[in-house]
Amino acid sequence: MSLSDVEVRSKARQTFYSIILIALSVPVLMAFSVLVLSSFANQMVTNFDFSKVKFTLRNWQLLFQGRIAITGGLRENIFLYLLNTAVVAFGVAIVTTLVGTLSGYAISRIKFKGRKFILLMMLMLHALPGSILIVGVYFLYRLWMPTNLNALKYFSFFYVIVARAALEIPLSVWLMKGFFDLLPWEIEWSALVDGASRLKTWAKIMMPLIKPGVVAILIFGFLAGWQDIIYVRTFLIDKTLATFIESNLEAEMAYMPLLAAAATLYLLPTIFFYISSQQLLFKVYAGGIRR
Amino acid sequence: MIKEGTSRKWELWAFLAPALVVVVIFYVVPLILTVYTSFTPIRNWNIQRYATKWIGLYNYQKLFHAIANDPSVRAVFLTTAVFVGCTLLVNVLGGLILALLTFFVGKRTNSVASTIWLLPRMSPIAVYGLVWYYFFHGSGIGTLNSLFLKLGLIDKPIAWGQAFIPYGPWSVIIFVNGLVGVSFGMIVLSSAIKSIPSEFVIAARVDGATDWQICKRILIPQIKWHIMYVTTWQLLSLLTSYAHTYLLVSWRLVNKTYGTPWALYVYDLAFTGVFDQGLAAAAGTLLVLVGGLLGFMTLRILGFGKLMVEPRGDI
Repeated sequence: MSLSDVEVRSKARQTFYSIILIALSVPVLMAFSVLVLSSFANQMVTNFDFSKVKFTLRNWQLLFQGRIAITGGLRENIFLYLLNTAVVAFGVAIVTTLVGTLSGYAISRIKFKGRKFILLMMLMLHALPGSILIVGVYFLYRLWMPTNLNALKYFSFFYVIVARAALEIPLSVWLMKGFFDLLPWEIEWSALVDGASRLKTWAKIMMPLIKPGVVAILIFGFLAGWQDIIYVRTFLIDKTLATFIESNLEAEMAYMPLLAAAATLYLLPTIFFYISSQQLLFKVYAGGIRR
Repeated sequence: MIKEGTSRKWELWAFLAPALVVVVIFYVVPLILTVYTSFTPIRNWNIQRYATKWIGLYNYQKLFHAIANDPSVRAVFLTTAVFVGCTLLVNVLGGLILALLTFFVGKRTNSVASTIWLLPRMSPIAVYGLVWYYFFHGSGIGTLNSLFLKLGLIDKPIAWGQAFIPYGPWSVIIFVNGLVGVSFGMIVLSSAIKSIPSEFVIAARVDGATDWQICKRILIPQIKWHIMYVTTWQLLSLLTSYAHTYLLVSWRLVNKTYGTPWALYVYDLAFTGVFDQGLAAAAGTLLVLVGGLLGFMTLRILGFGKLMVEPRGDI
């Protein structure tokens, strides 16, 4: 039974706590809002000074035309950056989910030597993220790097996807194991007794049953790949929205409301996925701990 | 019937192989390579030239010498301690306060607040960085500056991350990273509170306990393990993560010396500016050692071995 404090408390008290809670939350929301609002204005409204501000769609126009300043001939292809970001994000989502569901199943359902060791190792790797090994990860990248420039481009995509997914895999294995633990054994037994292989049972019976878990991991993986900057800027040859924003803020000619528009564009998918699957994501971000 | 022997073994490998391959390629091999690099003079990623040169503990000597004598490296050391300690406090206390508050309010308010607090954690790091870049901006467009100017507390804009060294940059990085971690504690702790049997709270209410007494006597003692879990987990995460701080430093919002925790220092040495991978690897190896030790202790303290359910049945 889930507990919420419905007992003999006064309405006034509850309102008081609500006000405190909202008051604490508002600054975060405000900071994001003024950035989004600035993307529709001719100057930053982060100082709440609206006296000289005119609202316009000009920033978005410029952004989609790939012009990073009002004047100047430099053009950047924002659609390409958007596509690159999406490729990395989808790649991370797929790798994370596939590896997580496969090993999560084995650890939850199959008895084997070293099972406990693998699970503890995953926890340890989750606790101590692989991003501190980035020097070694880049060393390996250098060793495998193809010399052909075109091949290098594809290689860098592949590498950044798997390397970034590797950071999330320990958590995804642990989470999927938790989801599989919750499923009843009877259906699986009947499939196994009827002669289905483990792989077939996994694909045909277990996966459909844990759809919510799979969706949660997919979205979680997508968001991890989508939000990343360190791995993308270190390994990827092409630009993504993250590196676009990073490099243009440093540039002298940065036209700030335009960067606000780029940031808003970058934020949109996050908001979309978040609102559509909030409850699932809560489970993931809590680290899958039930006790 | 269920097939025995080799085919079962083969199947087990099919399930585990992807994860094991990833762990070997992206954890085990990089760990070995990092430790190896720390014994070489690799610079500018010139592997061909330097990778076969063995210089023993020179990088470590250089590092310890720098910690002892170079004020900027000592500042990094100090910043790490302050940053990890204070942000941890913000994360755990903030998460606990929010979790307790959400317990006492209605469902609607609860879900709105959780939504807002997860935003820092989920949003793209570049966007999140940009949000606080404008908030702490050193000119009149900065939110904090305009607020203080309007209130008459200051008479000209202040570059918060560059002024009042070291407290200015420290406050900014603690604030920005603190908000990212709060949601973790909030979610874990509020779901732990939800699983406390409601009879406890009802009985306390009937006896006339105040909200504060309920928090102190019932809720907090019941979620002790979870508070411990959040604390140790966040400690490790703060020690090893640097993505959110990276942009603040690279955009010069905060002072480089007093805005760089150890993990970011490692990254900076290897990938920006100096490009001294040998030294970076030595600094990284130290971090791995400290982190690994803390991680091991965490698992022991929390007793994760007990959490694992044995697979049922004989297959």
